[in-house]
Amino acid sequence: MGRIEISNLTKRFGDTTAVEDLSLDIPDSEFLVLVGPSGCGKSTTLRCIAGLETATEGSIYIGGEHMNYRVPQNRDIAMVFQDYALYPHMTVRENVRFGLEEEPGYTSEERDARVEEIAELLSISDLLDRRPGELSGGQQQRVALGRAIVRDPEVFLMDEPLSNLDAKLRAEMRTELQQLQHRFDVTTVYVTHNQTEAMTMSDRIAVMNDGTLQQVGEPLELYHAPANRFVAGFIGEPAMNFVEGTNENGTFVGTYIEYPFDEPIRENVGGVEDVVLGVRPEDINLRRFPEDGSDTLADHEFEMTVSVVEPHGDQNVIHLRHPNDAAGDELLHAVTSGTTVVDAGTDVVVSIDPGAVHVFETATGDALHNRRLETELEVRNV
Amino acid sequence: MAGSSSDQTFDVASLVEDFDLNRIGQYVLVILFIGFFLAPLETGIMTAFKTNRAVAETIPLMPPLAEGFTLDNMTFALNALSGAFFNSLFMAIPATIGSVLFGSMAAYGLTMVDWRGQMGMLVLFLIGIFLPYQAVLVPLARFWNNIFPLASMIKPLFVAAPILQDYHANLVPLMITHIAYGIPICTILFRSYYQGLPSSYVEAAKIDGASITKIYRRIILPISKPMFGVVFIYQFTQIYNEFLFAFTLITGSDTPEAVVTLILPAVGASTSGIDFGIRMSAAFLAALPTLIIYVAFAEQFAEGLKSGG
Repeated sequence: MGRIEISNLTKRFGDTTAVEDLSLDIPDSEFLVLVGPSGCGKSTTLRCIAGLETATEGSIYIGGEHMNYRVPQNRDIAMVFQDYALYPHMTVRENVRFGLEEEPGYTSEERDARVEEIAELLSISDLLDRRPGELSGGQQQRVALGRAIVRDPEVFLMDEPLSNLDAKLRAEMRTELQQLQHRFDVTTVYVTHNQTEAMTMSDRIAVMNDGTLQQVGEPLELYHAPANRFVAGFIGEPAMNFVEGTNENGTFVGTYIEYPFDEPIRENVGGVEDVVLGVRPEDINLRRFPEDGSDTLADHEFEMTVSVVEPHGDQNVIHLRHPNDAAGDELLHAVTSGTTVVDAGTDVVVSIDPGAVHVFETATGDALHNRRLETELEVRNV
Repeated sequence: MAGSSSDQTFDVASLVEDFDLNRIGQYVLVILFIGFFLAPLETGIMTAFKTNRAVAETIPLMPPLAEGFTLDNMTFALNALSGAFFNSLFMAIPATIGSVLFGSMAAYGLTMVDWRGQMGMLVLFLIGIFLPYQAVLVPLARFWNNIFPLASMIKPLFVAAPILQDYHANLVPLMITHIAYGIPICTILFRSYYQGLPSSYVEAAKIDGASITKIYRRIILPISKPMFGVVFIYQFTQIYNEFLFAFTLITGSDTPEAVVTLILPAVGASTSGIDFGIRMSAAFLAALPTLIIYVAFAEQFAEGLKSGG
């Protein structure tokens, strides 16, 4: 019913291309999050689905029907805007009812009853006779959702709906939105620049950059097997470490570190010369470097100095630099448990397990090798 | 050191510090300017209530005292202007409402609806603002008198209508002229306001299936209420005080359909000289409607300036 197919969608504004050759198939009742940095074309894609922008090239199908030339009203969609777009001069009741007024097949009483029903569902019944200006951000958000739900659409489109809320409320609304989506079983396209929202809410994530689709997949798939350096860097907080260097006969050589590749990595990297080594901060292990320097470093270990420590409570983010780097530029950052305390200036031994290493081609950014996971189960059941 | 050694000592120096010469200069200047601006107004109002003798013998700024006080000037001026008041309001109120409403509609169409050639149309509106009135006076008079004599066409209607007389029909061309010339500036004022509104208002309504006219009627029109206050005051003042079009289309102060601005120069002037008391009374009365409008719309005016700029 609410399956969305986008094939080769291109949208140009004059000379600038906002979206380029985007193809995406969103099955019925899926929660798809469209994520990317500002100006990557994610909102434009959403507006094309909504019918607020016309596609320059390509086609959009909803429920198998061609949508390109249909007005928004006839696409069976509802949209939630970033600023909620609640009309300040109308009460909540009038705001919610407005969406129903042009909908055929309702009598006036049925419309009123439907508004009450939706208000009940979102627990905003006691707010119905207030104006949007008198409501808190979270309440306004609920009303905006109510206005979308009231028409009982096949597709929900949401344009950064949580970005105006404070952090605590945002976390609450995230869960609530998910529950709502499950309850109505409505195909949802959700646009955000916030990778946490993308990871936590979605069935699948589509990452966009510079108007092109980078990768589509389940959250953990994107996290552990990114298709390219952009996706690897965008998904995950704190971001993945990248070290640029060259591949010399199966050994990674950077400015400060050398990292011998093991057999599986070598096979995947092949003869590519300029490569980027990627490793997630939580895959970096630290141990104290003995004062007397008696420690000997193994193959995948390096000596480094702690430059800054950011305590988060549950975890600490440790910024590391190489002792030989006079400028003191950060080389890596690692995440340790909240109870592991390291002081800035301490020398530490950094070890990186070859099983957790990603390798990207410098020129194209494409992933040559992604981290190994023992089995599918390791991701699903740990 | 001095003065701070004991708690009881009063620190005079700290007080004097606040009265530096700069501040004194500022206040003197402000007071002088207030006086400069208010003195003519005060003179006018005082003169309006003085007998001719008092006008001749007392300083203009002085209030009228005992024998010098009279209301005769006011009654005379009111009698002289009463017909003109009706004419002015009969012409200015519909003209204001018309130009403000059409201006708002045009601004909505130019900013919130997408269509080709918007820019060209906007340029035409801008040209409309800068068109000098003097350049169009002769064609305008020819148009309403010879090419399209609307006034004589609708005269029978006015004879039949209550309160109105046939000569009031002559005000209709003036009314339409003011609407036409008011639309460009009103459009530009509303345009800047509409550009500040979030585009999601219109987009959300579009998704809900509202038509262009419904979006205007149900959303844009109610939201622009504060801006209506601002533009209404501005436009009413312009039209009510306008002289050139009135003078061209309504031939003179001796006609029964003459508006206030046409009558005003003649009130209190005679071969025996100028009666200042009557003139000032008439001027004060003529200014009253605009003052009343300002007071009535003050709240919306302030709100509109705040939000619309």
